[in-house]
Amino acid sequence: MKIVDVDKLSDLAAALAAKGYRIVAPVRDGDVVRLKQWKRGDEIDLDAFTVNSVKDFLMPASEVIGRYALDGDDFAPEAVAAEAPKTVVLGVRPCDAAALAVLDAVFNWDYADAFYNARRAATTIAALACRQADEQCFCTSVGGAPDSTAGADAILRPADGGKRFIVETLSEKGEALVAAAGEVVQEGEAAADAVAEVPVRFDAAALAARLAENFESPLWQTLSLACLGCGACAYACPTCHCFDIQDEGTRRESVRLRNWDSCGFGLFTQHAGGHNPRPDQAARWRQRVMHKFLYFAERFGRLACSGCGRCARLCPAHVSMAESCAALMAARKAAKR
Amino acid sequence: MSSQADPKAREQAAFEPRIVALVCTWCTYAGADLAGTSRLRYAPNVRIVKVPCTGRIDPLFVLKAFEGGADGVLVSGCHPGDCHYTSGNYHARRRWAIFRRLLEVTGIDERRLFFSWVSAAEGQKFADLVNDIAEKVRAAGPFERTNPARRRP
Amino acid sequence: MNALETLRADAARLLREGRAKVVIGYRTRGKERAPVFITDASGAGSLVYDAACRQNLAAYLRKPEVRARRPAAVVASPPVMRSLVLLAAESQIGEGDVVVLAVGPPGEGGGEGVYHGALTLAETARLLKEKYALLAPRPEVLDRIKSLAAMSAEERAAFWSEALAKCTRCYACRAACPACYCTVCIVEKNVPQWISTAARPHGNYAWNLIRAFHAAGRCTGCEACEAACPQGIPLMLLNVLVAEEAAEAFGIKAGYDLDAEPLIGSWSADDEEDFIR
Repeated sequence: MKIVDVDKLSDLAAALAAKGYRIVAPVRDGDVVRLKQWKRGDEIDLDAFTVNSVKDFLMPASEVIGRYALDGDDFAPEAVAAEAPKTVVLGVRPCDAAALAVLDAVFNWDYADAFYNARRAATTIAALACRQADEQCFCTSVGGAPDSTAGADAILRPADGGKRFIVETLSEKGEALVAAAGEVVQEGEAAADAVAEVPVRFDAAALAARLAENFESPLWQTLSLACLGCGACAYACPTCHCFDIQDEGTRRESVRLRNWDSCGFGLFTQHAGGHNPRPDQAARWRQRVMHKFLYFAERFGRLACSGCGRCARLCPAHVSMAESCAALMAARKAAKR
Repeated sequence: MSSQADPKAREQAAFEPRIVALVCTWCTYAGADLAGTSRLRYAPNVRIVKVPCTGRIDPLFVLKAFEGGADGVLVSGCHPGDCHYTSGNYHARRRWAIFRRLLEVTGIDERRLFFSWVSAAEGQKFADLVNDIAEKVRAAGPFERTNPARRRP
Repeated sequence: MNALETLRADAARLLREGRAKVVIGYRTRGKERAPVFITDASGAGSLVYDAACRQNLAAYLRKPEVRARRPAAVVASPPVMRSLVLLAAESQIGEGDVVVLAVGPPGEGGGEGVYHGALTLAETARLLKEKYALLAPRPEVLDRIKSLAAMSAEERAAFWSEALAKCTRCYACRAACPACYCTVCIVEKNVPQWISTAARPHGNYAWNLIRAFHAAGRCTGCEACEAACPQGIPLMLLNVLVAEEAAEAFGIKAGYDLDAEPLIGSWSADDEEDFIR
């Protein structure tokens, strides 16, 4: 089997960088650990939960999708290509890797998004099986697992008490990656460590039916009372993909931007005429949960949630998607009795 | 090696600062007008934006000027007590005291941001002020690369 | 009964007697403290208070769903008490809208905590002036501001460009802050769009500066914004800088006086102007 020692991680990154890959890895940044572009000397921290997801590198927070030169009445659009450098994202948790299927589906649905697809094609996902989970993890409740290979081009499995990783390639991109790594990845034997235990917190299949029946439930009010309506959860979420198009410029030049947006914001569904079909946080929270666990599943055959738990970890008001789902299931059980 | 051969020195020598002046209609704008009608010579680097009163000046105006590429900004109005709208400049003075601290701690300091009271009779003061500010901003150099507020499409 | 038990007993009593329709406090959730909205006296036992409680619960008073349940009893440490007094000074809440369940800062009272009782806003303002008049920002924050002041303008610009590059414009800072209660925020005004909504350098700079400016003279130092920021941006450096200026130049410290005049909305003929030529 192919193995790489844990203290050779920086060497691995350096070897890949030398072969032309942009390296993205979880790097300590003050009080947080963030997936960011790695450079020699950065400390890679694979054990921490990152504040951001792989989404940042496939659908950036703000992306130029159009450029225009203006001259009086003359209007000249300029071609804009996505910046899609050859990239490897090291240490992607299986929940994040699995989430890519959601973005792949949305950005190739009624229209093939050239920007997303260019970055996606240029990116190799090197996943890392989880040895630890925390109270916010719930991948197993949504059909995932801490050692799932869904969405990954290669996976590093911790082995020999965390001293090394077993490297398994899962696609052509994964094989190219290992080949580029050269001698840092060696042939050898290692015993895979036990994978994290992630207790199932609710039955996602049953939840979908429950949601369909409970559109008018007063529970939405209770569940959303703590929510302050910011975008922290949507932006950290590896599956959330809503965006806002903005044009910015002067009388001579303009750019068209695609920026992240959040269904939690009060004005997300505000109509120009003044009406807002989701006028309160309860309606917005309901939409958020139902989109992920019902509507998206109906349309694309998969949940729009991978159980990574970032939303709950980062929420300033400590609102938890998993807690809401579990509460909805419990409530119905109570009603049945 | 002559200083002209050094690209940075050449850039500096060729640098004409772009300065935006946010001025009130009744005092500073009139003072600037007087400078003009009196045929006083002053640096051509200032683009004047006329507002009714300094009380109208939102800190966002200052930010917008730097966002658009200004190397320096001047904000000027009526002397305290002379405001055409009685107290607009008093409101402005409070705002400036606070906002300049935010700009200063984030890298936009007194080499690039200026405040003054110039009355309708102070044409000479306006001319002297603009000349002085233009020199100070020229000495500070182009702001393009280090301007934290700059919009870069 | 210790402080926590007394707090819980008061909360239950207020609900039973109908003197509060909801008690807004903190409950334990794993290692964290999450907000709890208690409407029945039997729930008061879940209330906790300690150093892990970083949210400013006064922020909930802007939610219509919470306002519909006034009088609301709010568990309030000194910065939160100040926020409540500020909201009253700005006419957002009135005496009778809130009952302040006043607790001392975590660690006061030798670790047991201190509970000052269920107070009116007037009593809260008095308590603040008597016991918590000298609340100061954390020394680390003041030190960092000093070291920023010692840097050159270019170094400062570089520091903030790097810090603000992490901003994703999630507005968690705004959501967490009780002083941010505008129904339509300046970034949401788009006729015209004054502040770029994009998570790009110029937009992030404008947003973070304008937010600090709008909080000038109104920030009570609760640090909920910095705790809320998912990216770890040192927001308090800007807020404290402005709060110190408000205190030194204009003698204004937010949240001590129910009749206070706002910093930016008011003026004095004697305001400093040594920076104006």
